[in-house]
Amino acid sequence: MDVLSTVLLALFVVGYLVLAGADIGLGLLMPVVARTPEQRRRAVAAIAPYFLASEVWLVAAVGVLAGLFPALDHHVVAELWPVLVTLLGGWLVRDSGLWLRARVDAPSRRAVCDTAVVAGSWVVAASWGLVLAGLLTGGLTASVFTPLCAVAVLALFALRGASFGAERLVGALHDDSADVAARATRVVARVALAAALLATGAAPLPGGVATDRPVVAAASALVLLVLLAVTSGVRGPMLSRHTSALAMGAAGVLTALSAQLPTEPVPATTAVFVWAALAPAVPFMVLGQVWMYRLARRPAPAPTFFA
Amino acid sequence: MFDDPLLLARLQFALTAATHYVFVALTLGLAPYILVGQLVATVRGDRRRMASVRFWGGLYLVNYGMGVLSGLVMELQLAVNWTGLHAVFGYSFAAPLALETMTAFFVESTFLGLWIFGWDRMGRWAHLACFAVVTGTAYLSAWWVLVANGFLRHPVGFEIVDGVAHLTDPVALMANPAALMAFLHIITGALLLGALVVGATSAHHLIRGNDPDGMFGRGLVYATVMACVMPLPVAAFGGTQFALFGQDPPTSGLTYTAGEIEAIEAASGGPLLTAANTAGEVLMFTAWALMFLLGPAMLVVLLLRRPLGRLPRLRNLLLAPLLITPVLPYLASVAGWVFRETNRQPWAVVHHLTTADAVTPMAPGMAAASFSFFTGAFAVLAATTSWLLVRYARRGPGGGPLAERPADAEEPAAPVTSF
Repeated sequence: MDVLSTVLLALFVVGYLVLAGADIGLGLLMPVVARTPEQRRRAVAAIAPYFLASEVWLVAAVGVLAGLFPALDHHVVAELWPVLVTLLGGWLVRDSGLWLRARVDAPSRRAVCDTAVVAGSWVVAASWGLVLAGLLTGGLTASVFTPLCAVAVLALFALRGASFGAERLVGALHDDSADVAARATRVVARVALAAALLATGAAPLPGGVATDRPVVAAASALVLLVLLAVTSGVRGPMLSRHTSALAMGAAGVLTALSAQLPTEPVPATTAVFVWAALAPAVPFMVLGQVWMYRLARRPAPAPTFFA
Repeated sequence: MFDDPLLLARLQFALTAATHYVFVALTLGLAPYILVGQLVATVRGDRRRMASVRFWGGLYLVNYGMGVLSGLVMELQLAVNWTGLHAVFGYSFAAPLALETMTAFFVESTFLGLWIFGWDRMGRWAHLACFAVVTGTAYLSAWWVLVANGFLRHPVGFEIVDGVAHLTDPVALMANPAALMAFLHIITGALLLGALVVGATSAHHLIRGNDPDGMFGRGLVYATVMACVMPLPVAAFGGTQFALFGQDPPTSGLTYTAGEIEAIEAASGGPLLTAANTAGEVLMFTAWALMFLLGPAMLVVLLLRRPLGRLPRLRNLLLAPLLITPVLPYLASVAGWVFRETNRQPWAVVHHLTTADAVTPMAPGMAAASFSFFTGAFAVLAATTSWLLVRYARRGPGGGPLAERPADAEEPAAPVTSF
């Protein structure tokens, strides 16, 4: 039961990083890939119904953390309170921009919403960099590792966004957003690779990664580096959809497996209660996610509610 | 005030929860009306009826956005600012909240995205099924949240093991009278609130002689029926909760002895809390007293609407008061929450954990910064959303966010390449 519950928590966090990484990453890259009003509308249209199905993974992760792992929740919050509040603020700003963008008509107000989406995405992605660094080092430390890890995670988000854009911004023939995004995958993957290499080098330094499973940590870091190397090489843009997802997942798994986090056995009654009530909802959860993922692959031809 | 993190954390949570509920109540109130409208339109294959679903659905979505923004902040705030509560009651209080996030919100948000994206892109029955799932999970979500909230008020079904509450009886947790009665009170109240918003919008358009396909006439009938039927159950389910006030929860004594409880309760209070509690109670009761009169009055207006067709000015004079009726259930909802939640003080979990022990220890400066940011952001967002709701309600079905765009304005579909 304990293993299952831990897997559930890790699944929600890694699922969030992989799926929401795509729409947050596209938000990061909007100033580059979407330069005209129509391109910006299409970029938001790629993000907009999709983000409703991706951010729920984090909400579920927070729920599981509070309900099944209160000791871990206490530890994480005590160590990372300022970063978590910043993350929440960035999230609020980003989502407000997405919800309100199509509701305002004046170009200046629309520019405010676009700025909120981009700035919010940067704050969210950078906060995640600090969260992962803080989890790995056991609290935020003023070390060389922390900024390097944060840059690597930011670049991973951008890589997810670039590959997402290369797939979902494909439209009319004159539209070059998808091409710009596809070309960006290689550049961003190289930045991520460099940052991840440096972070791996800085990990054993004082204030670096504190882990009692160095072999597992090194192995998952190696997987991450190989995936980034593949993406930055010749086959970059074609494979980036899969390799960026695997790289982001590897970063999440690396953190989950190597961070020293306090865990207590989940009391049996609570575990049985939660799993029994969760079981009937699982088919709906899976169906909704798969359906949304497939439906959003075809861009909406006409403007919808969001853009 | 800005140097007391506890007060800031409490005010911040109260403001977030109040903002959240104001918008969620309309979500709960409108969803069944839209679902039935879409069901009728789907069964009849009636495109004009669908125009009314698009209109109310557009308002629903504008409102839902604010509900979800404040809901996200509320959930994370609960996890981040109130770790003392989770440290002791994680396995009992937070377990239903965990289930809410997974079984209700996860599914609701995804299927709402499908519903938004699915207009004209999926079969009409599949599209209807998406909204049925959205409606069902919205109510499921309310139920899980009230199971957690009811636990704070009337903690049941656990034992204390090494200072941590371990759940022993999930059935008692779910069948908690403080949760069940509150749920029924909330959903009947939300249905009335939604109906009065439909009624006010309909009256606005009927006064202007704008009633495409009779959608606003139907809205007025629906609002009148609900205004006649609903106040009684709302008051009854609210009233039965008074029996729990002053009653010791069955788990009383597990954490503190009766003497300690008395000492803690005697040391608490203060003029601000008492004033908020009294104001909440008075406002709630006044609003409900007025709402009991609303149903019969609306029935008279409804019956006189056709006979007065030749006297439009008199008819409009009768319809005009309907425009402000939604103020009453909104006022009653917020006042009711203030009354219920201030009544629990000084306890976060009655007879087990004080609010002061539940809060996360945080630096005053950071607490003040977080409070200022979220309060400012919510003020702007709530004002914007309210303004948008009024604007779209007044524009009518032609200009809503989901309105069908005229076919001739559409550009020819561009070829789409994909790989």
